[in-house]
This record gives sequence, C-alpha cells and structure tokens, in this order.
Amino acid sequence: MNTEERQLAEMLRRVAPEPTRRVTVEDVAFRLANQAAGTGHRRHREPRAQRGSWGRGWAPVLAAAGVIVVAGASAGIATALTSHRPPASSSIGGASPSASVSTSASSPAPSQVPTSVSPSWPPERVASGMWGAELINRDTFNQDSLTSGDGSLYATGDGNLARIDPANGNVLASVSYGASAAGPPVPGAPVVTGSTVWVPSEYAGTSVVLHGYNARTLAQVASVTVPVTGQVSATASGVLTAGPDGDLYVAAGSSVAVVNPSTRQVIKQISVSAGPVSSLAVSPDGSKLYVSTGPFQLLTYNRATGAQLGGQAIADLTTTAGNLVATSGGVWGTTGVGMTESAWFAPDADLTRMVRLGTGAGAGLGSIPAFSGGVVWIGGSHTLECASPVTGQVLKSVTIPTDGGVVEYFGSVTVMAGRAYAYYQDQRAQQAGVATLTPPSSCSG
Amino acid sequence: MEGRPSEPDGFRDFVEARSNALLRSGWLLTGDWPSAEDLVQTALAAAWPRWDSLTRQDAPELYVRKIMVNTYLRWRRRRWNGEVATGRLPELQAYGDVFAQVDARQALIAALDRLPARQRAVVVLRYFADQTESQTAAAMGCSVGTVKSHASKALARLRDAPGLAELMAGGVAS
Repeated sequence: MNTEERQLAEMLRRVAPEPTRRVTVEDVAFRLANQAAGTGHRRHREPRAQRGSWGRGWAPVLAAAGVIVVAGASAGIATALTSHRPPASSSIGGASPSASVSTSASSPAPSQVPTSVSPSWPPERVASGMWGAELINRDTFNQDSLTSGDGSLYATGDGNLARIDPANGNVLASVSYGASAAGPPVPGAPVVTGSTVWVPSEYAGTSVVLHGYNARTLAQVASVTVPVTGQVSATASGVLTAGPDGDLYVAAGSSVAVVNPSTRQVIKQISVSAGPVSSLAVSPDGSKLYVSTGPFQLLTYNRATGAQLGGQAIADLTTTAGNLVATSGGVWGTTGVGMTESAWFAPDADLTRMVRLGTGAGAGLGSIPAFSGGVVWIGGSHTLECASPVTGQVLKSVTIPTDGGVVEYFGSVTVMAGRAYAYYQDQRAQQAGVATLTPPSSCSG
Repeated sequence: MEGRPSEPDGFRDFVEARSNALLRSGWLLTGDWPSAEDLVQTALAAAWPRWDSLTRQDAPELYVRKIMVNTYLRWRRRRWNGEVATGRLPELQAYGDVFAQVDARQALIAALDRLPARQRAVVVLRYFADQTESQTAAAMGCSVGTVKSHASKALARLRDAPGLAELMAGGVAS
C-alpha cells in the first residue's frame, strides 16, 4: 500500500463506528429457520400487531434504538438509522393463516410445475384509504416488480416469481427462477408476452439467461442464454422489456439483445458503444430503442437498423439512469440514489428539457415510473402521481400519508381490467403487499 | 424452532469474534446499521450449512465476506436500504464531539456513496478488512487486475469527495 492507501485504511477504521449490538448466533438461527419455513417469496405470516421475521425489505425494527441521526435531509424529513433486532420467537404458525408454496427456494428443476396455496386475507384499508387503497396481499416483493398480463398479476421477490390473483390477492403459483443469495438480482419487472412470463434468471458479469414460464402454471417453458458484450451493468434496473411486436429486448452489457419469444432465439444484437446498458425501453410505435448507460447517458437507436440516432448526457448527475419507460411523448426514468432518487421525464428523449416528477421516495425506496392504463404512474413515499404519456404533465397527485410519522410507499402501479394495483409498504407496521387503488377519473388515460 | 439446523462446531465462536468487524464492514458497504446487520446475518446464514467444509478449508471469513459483498452488490440494484424515514427528528444523545463524529461518518458515507458498488466493495475489503488483492479478487469473483483497477478508480473519486481529505489527514475519532 502507498501512503494514500494507508491513510484511507486508517481513516476507515477510525471513522467507522462500533456497532451498538452484535449479530448473534440466535439471529442467524432465526433467519435460517424462517428461510426453511418460508419457501417461495418471503411471506408475511403474522397479522399487523405481531411482528415476525422479514426479508431484507423489512430488516429494520423501529423498536430498536436509533444509532445515528442524519438531520436536514433534503426532502425535509429526518432519517433515523436503527438497529435490527428480530423478535424473540417466530410467530410462524401463530394466529396467522397457514401458507405453503411448493417450490423450493433453491433452483428448481426445469419445467417444474409449481402449485401454491396462498392464504386468504380480507382486504385491509391502508394509507388512510388514500385513493381507496386496500391491501389484498401480504407478501414482500421487489418494489419495482409488480406487473400484469394474461389476466394475472406477477411479481418477483427473493428469487421467486409469483402469479397473483387480481381478484383477491392470493398467490396462485410461485416458482424459484434460479437466483441465489450470491447470484444476480432481477433488475425490473417480469415481462409478459402472450402466455409466457419472462424473467432474467441470471444477470451478472458475462451471464444473462432469460427464463420463460407458463403464465398460468408458472411451469418453465423456455430458457434463453443471451450473448453479452463485455459485462452487464452492475447498477442495472429495468433491463428487460418487450416491443410492440412482442420481441424481447434485454440489456446485455454493451449491447442490446433482441429475442424472439416464439422461437426463443436471439435474432439481433445492437451494439451500444457508450458502455454497459443500465436500462432500456422501446417506443410505443416500435421505431426507436432507448438505452441508458452510466454515468447518465440516454441514447436513441433505430430499432430496425440498430443505428444510433442520438445521445445526450447529464453532466451534473453521476448515477445511472434506470427503469426507462418510453411513451409517445418521450422517455421516463429514474436517477439518483437514496433521498435524491427521483423520476424524470425527457420530452422526445431530449434531456435538455428533462423535468423531475414526483417528490422521490427516499428511505431506500424507488420512485419508479410505470406506464399502464394509458397513463404514467410515479410512485414513491411522499406522493403518488399519474401523468400524461404525451406531455409529461401531472394529471393528478395525491399525498401518501405517513403511519405515525413513518412513510408509507406505493409503487409499481399496474392497471388491469379497469382496476389499479400497486406494491405497498408500510415500514412502521412492517406491512407489505399488493394493494388495490381507485384513482380519480383523470388518471384513467 | 421450526427448520433450525443444529449449530455447527465453532460457529458461535466465529460469530462472537468476528461479528463486530463484519458489521463495521457492512456499515461501510451499506451506510446504515439495519442493512449492515441484515447483510451479516444473510452471509452467516449462508455459511452455516457449509460451516464444516469452510473450516476444513480454513476459509470461513473469506466465504462470509464473499457472500456479504455479493449480497450487497445485489441489493444495490434495487430494494430497501434499511433507512427509516420519519417525520420527526430523533433526539441527539449528546453534543459537541458527537456532532463531529456524526459529521465525519456522514462525510465518509457520502464519499463512499459516490463510488460504484464494486469500487466501494473493493475499498471496504481491501482497505478496511485488510484483505489482500488476491483475497479481494476471490471474494468479488474477479481478477486481481480488476481489483487494482477498481481500487485506483475509487481512490481517484475519493480524492474529490468533500471533506474526505481532512478525514484522511486525521480527524474525529469514532
């Protein structure tokens, strides 16, 4: 090590604080026991008053002592960092309904047909009934993963893909798609094409593999290995989308691979010279492909020829732009991290005219745009908005209430059969799941 | 407890001896204690079933750190960061030096937040956890050359981080 490296090492050891509590074997045993019992995606087994074990999404328990105070947060709220202390005993099998998911948390055998029985819960009014919000499902999913298609809702969480009944929130089927703790994430929502649900089973380094599952049974029906140019982006989010012709587009390092979902063949590879693709979207008319690379560049390609049509960079942002959505009026996405993360809209993909939307999410949550039901939805933990896909103008905005001062979150809005669904989290109540919403008519597209 | 496997020999000793250092690494990676605890618990839970094999290879900590880093990189894509946003300012426990300590930690985390995930992981493994370049490469599943490259780029970015030069020159103790 040179002098600078030694100074850095010394400073890290000096400034990094001592933890207020240690992880114990009992903590680990509790987690193991919960993992063993909780096959499939993490499942909320206890009613609101009984706090049990949660996955990563619910590690903090507010009863624990605050450790560090970060005052003056930009969003006007404070961020208290708390310690995680699991409950003294598992509440599995307590007063809550029983749940079982047949698939293993480990990699499933190909074509395994999962069967699942999800508990039935009565809908529960949440967020003070904001836009008629009712929680119909109590499973923890990835916050950006809720989507709809083929008459069902789909979401991913902890390496599992779930099919959810939109009528009552029951998980009708669930399957592990192969991600492991040390493996890749699923950056973005599953994509439904026809009767197949696609999800990146592997997405790390030089490996990208898409798995296709029967939209009804979630039996695996396809596996497509996608050639990667270089390495995939380490900060990718929103890497898989479908064009209007049904073809799949997947960010594959410094290129975009186009997959025919019928033949399950990679039919085209579009080179992206600016570097690993963080996110991508296809214009509604199918003529343009938009990709983002990091630090934040937005590039436009002719979808048919693969020729680059334009590209712009944002100089004052150092984070990648993810979760791209393309509408007739332009491109939407997110940028920033933590409290500074926010959604934006660039008319005609022109970043010089980019506008920020919503008030962000903070607290590690994402304010992610979603195009569904004819409007673009901007979720978060402060406001939920619907915006015009043509102009980017916010059509309606509602303040998301707090639960005793702790933020509640709505995101990943999807509309199906005239009904809106969102992924909901309430940290204070340690509650998460799929909620139904009744937005005002101005959000009906 | 349902599903709880038997505790492997030596696991408790390892957890008691290394939990502190692992948690501090987790804090440097994630910037907050809840996530750090979650990260460490995740890694230890992954190590538990393989403990006998890991101890035979004399590599339990290397494995735990590898899981921590990979899990952290996975989390960085999207999901919960473990912060609890509230509408109220929690009370500070003390004044004076405590503020300076908080400032120092904030400056450090802000500086680390400027780094891409893999560069941050290299900084924590290489400079905080005192892992060799080859150990860091093994934990991250990359080459030694890549570790060197990440370290070099990370140092370059950290040089420009506000307040970090003062911290590196000697500042407030934790």
